[in-house]
Amino acid sequence: MKIGLEVHVAIPTKSKLFCACSTSADEPNSSICPICMGFPGSKPMLNKAAIEYALSVSAALHCKTGKATSFVRKVYFYPDLPKSYQITQLQDAIGFGGYVELEKKKIGIRRIQLEEDPAKIIREDNYTLIDFNRSGVPLLEIVTEPDIASQDELREFVNELRSILYYLGFDIEREIKADLNISVADARVEVKNVNGIRNLVDAAQHEIRRQEDLHSKKQKIVAETRSYNEKTLRTESSREKESDEEYGFIYEPDLTVYQIKPKKLAKPIYAGIIARELAGGTGQLKKTVLDLIQFDSRALELFEHARGKWPLQSIINVVEVLNKYGAKDIGMAHFEKLLDVARAGTPISKQVLEQVKKGVKVEISEVSSAEVDREIKEIIRKNSHLLKEYEKNPKVFNFIVGDVAKKLKANPKEVSERLRGILEKGFKG
Amino acid sequence: MEDAEFDRLLKICRLRLSSSERTAIKSDVKEILKYFDTIEKVDTGSLKPAYHPVAIEGRLREDRVEPFDHSDLLLKGTKTHRFYVVGPDV
Amino acid sequence: MKNLGEIKDLNQRLHFFSAINDSAKDAARFSVKDNICVKGFEARAGSKILSGYVPPFDATCVERMAKKGYNFIGKTVMDEFGFGSFGVNTDVQARNPFDEKRVAGGSSSGAAVATAVLKDHIAISESTGGSISNPASFCGVVGFTPTYGTVSRYGLIDYANSLDKIGLMARSSEEIRKAFDIIRGADRYDTTCTENGITDSKKKKLVVIDQLMHGIDDGILASFEALLAKLEGMGYKVERTSLDFIDKAIPAYYIISMAEASTNLAKYTGYKYGRQLDAFTKKYNEFFTEAREVFGMEAKRRIVLGTFVRSASVKERYYTKALKVRALLANKLSELMKDAFVISPTMPIMAPKIDEAAELPPLQAYAMDSLTIPPNLTGLPHVSFPYDYLKGMPVGAQLVTTHFNDYALLDFVGKWEKSFDYKFKYNL
Repeated sequence: MKIGLEVHVAIPTKSKLFCACSTSADEPNSSICPICMGFPGSKPMLNKAAIEYALSVSAALHCKTGKATSFVRKVYFYPDLPKSYQITQLQDAIGFGGYVELEKKKIGIRRIQLEEDPAKIIREDNYTLIDFNRSGVPLLEIVTEPDIASQDELREFVNELRSILYYLGFDIEREIKADLNISVADARVEVKNVNGIRNLVDAAQHEIRRQEDLHSKKQKIVAETRSYNEKTLRTESSREKESDEEYGFIYEPDLTVYQIKPKKLAKPIYAGIIARELAGGTGQLKKTVLDLIQFDSRALELFEHARGKWPLQSIINVVEVLNKYGAKDIGMAHFEKLLDVARAGTPISKQVLEQVKKGVKVEISEVSSAEVDREIKEIIRKNSHLLKEYEKNPKVFNFIVGDVAKKLKANPKEVSERLRGILEKGFKG
Repeated sequence: MEDAEFDRLLKICRLRLSSSERTAIKSDVKEILKYFDTIEKVDTGSLKPAYHPVAIEGRLREDRVEPFDHSDLLLKGTKTHRFYVVGPDV
Repeated sequence: MKNLGEIKDLNQRLHFFSAINDSAKDAARFSVKDNICVKGFEARAGSKILSGYVPPFDATCVERMAKKGYNFIGKTVMDEFGFGSFGVNTDVQARNPFDEKRVAGGSSSGAAVATAVLKDHIAISESTGGSISNPASFCGVVGFTPTYGTVSRYGLIDYANSLDKIGLMARSSEEIRKAFDIIRGADRYDTTCTENGITDSKKKKLVVIDQLMHGIDDGILASFEALLAKLEGMGYKVERTSLDFIDKAIPAYYIISMAEASTNLAKYTGYKYGRQLDAFTKKYNEFFTEAREVFGMEAKRRIVLGTFVRSASVKERYYTKALKVRALLANKLSELMKDAFVISPTMPIMAPKIDEAAELPPLQAYAMDSLTIPPNLTGLPHVSFPYDYLKGMPVGAQLVTTHFNDYALLDFVGKWEKSFDYKFKYNL
């Protein structure tokens, strides 16, 4: 089975790709001008930041970049496309021939290109309503090789890609838009315009099942374009609007060839690789770390800060707690304090967190396991009768725990664990 | 050019022709394409296509927001509904 | 304007303005071809599909002229979107002031007529394949087409973006030079417009390309030879040379211009600006098709052909090959012009009668651009200047030089003007 993807993501520039209109606006048609409305007489002016973002992504996906980049017109008619052509890229795209590294394999990236988003179109009963605020928002189209072999890989790929984009400053809250190419046998079926990861994985699942069904019944799979229906959970044959023959690509003569000058680019971050390094492998521990850092730069900062100096489990515990209480903005000194608490085996309650933040000394956290052990053994040695009574009366156990906890201001749970351990080893005093 | 090909072309162009326009343009197209074919014989060697007649250094725009001054005029002649532009059915 | 009434009366007969600015001042007047946007004035580019399009912005060239104190007086008529050589491919057809039964040329027909009837006036016009030289020559005025990319196209309603050049017409090279210095120069709103230094590298040699002299009207040929003799008398050296594939500039030009035009015209779909349909309940394809019915015959022909030549399966053969022919021709012409200007008549025929021009089959009409297309295809600066009057009709010659050597052309015409008397029928 082969799955390929064409993913479209919005580039987080302040202004649009070819004009100075804002990329964020609320009221419909409030961020428009002659250029993004395609008014006769207007011409595009290419946004420098869009090129820079695109180059950063290209480098992060290990793509090659030519000496220059240029644009083409892709002609098709639809009410959301103001000029009836989209300015996009083809042969001189920003990047080509790269990959994204997953846990077990690499997914090839065929091409990365810049293009303009069409307007937003709302379908009413028998007409449409169009908001041109979105028209001209810069998009990055990332085209993969058909290297994805399962839904799990699909999900892993999309999340790793989103993570890379997130760390380059992209807004991953915006829904991902993608076209899927799926071939179970020979015929390649394209599922167009799927929105959101869940739909993407679902659409893939249903399309794979459909093709496998046909294949097992030895029926012909038609190479065609389909669309995914979120309600029926099925892909449906859609009469394709246009093909390459009809798009009639020509060079965009209102723009020029842009030389790409070597420049310091934003450093890519590969959360998957970092999680694997931290966890020292690819099991559940890696997954736990990845879940915490994949889309959370502060969490990654905390991990990087504590890495090697505290046990991984302590870091995980603290970061999870900080997540829970929305307190990741905590200062590094306090964070270290919490790590000490965690290392000591003390669960971090909201109260502990508050204490640390206020600079109140958390006595408990100063108690080491060794001290607890010493104190337990001390009590047992001094009161040799306790062991005998313990065999008849389990309450004695709690008495010892209470006594030690009180004396050391230690966490009773921790003390009881230490005590159980000591007893199990057959400590006789 | 066959009838079917010509019709397909009209469809892509979103053009409908009267029967007299159709007859005229169809025969013009045939003749003009024959004329266009004559460039095939020009020996252009290994020359690259000249997308522009002169070399132009690409200039880029800084990423700054500058709202258009006369946005009220943009939708003046356009049918709108609750700030949306009304478009044909899809 | 003091003579506004007279201008309006004459316009009733010659149809050169599509709109007149009633409040314009008298001195330093300029008109603007109707495919160039002037804020607040309808810009139809000669097409019904743009009826009602009032641009909310000024073209850069218009803004720059106004800033220097020039007064906008009106929009000049043209062939629909610039598709024509005689000004007949539109609903309002300009007439030649020297003979009202004859065409004014095209596509900047109104601009040439306005220049021929108004004094103290500069016409901002535009050329894609000869739309300045051609009408300038038919109407006996100077028509200057600068190097591609020298004047900003911001505000120009596109015909073919890699060929469109905004230029000027006037009654003297001096007026053109002044206006050229105002409108030229880089503009952030047009990426293809550059701040190149314009040179004035004078040449003493004039080259006549043999192949361009084929199929030229005998009367024009004879008077052109006389012109060459006069120029030799002025100290220029005339040389003949051969450039065997130069006739292929015409098909190459039409392929590129139609391919680009068919994409530019795709945006006219009847609901955003210009012609507005109200049939929103129709499916979009039907709606768009209905809106686009009002394109003229030539526009429809070019949309169909332009769409075809860029179709994926034949694109290499037509579109890409034509771009290579352009590269080849630009190289050859530039080589030829290292120490020379290229000179030729501007048009192979005298201005035809309006009804004759309207009847010309497309291929014959396209062939009329044989002399103006080579410099236009290659973005080379060129100027058409009147040098004679045959049976009362003006004839023009065209001078071409290398990229960015634009001043040298105006300098040449300036010298020629010292021994030439312009004739005009009107001086409004």
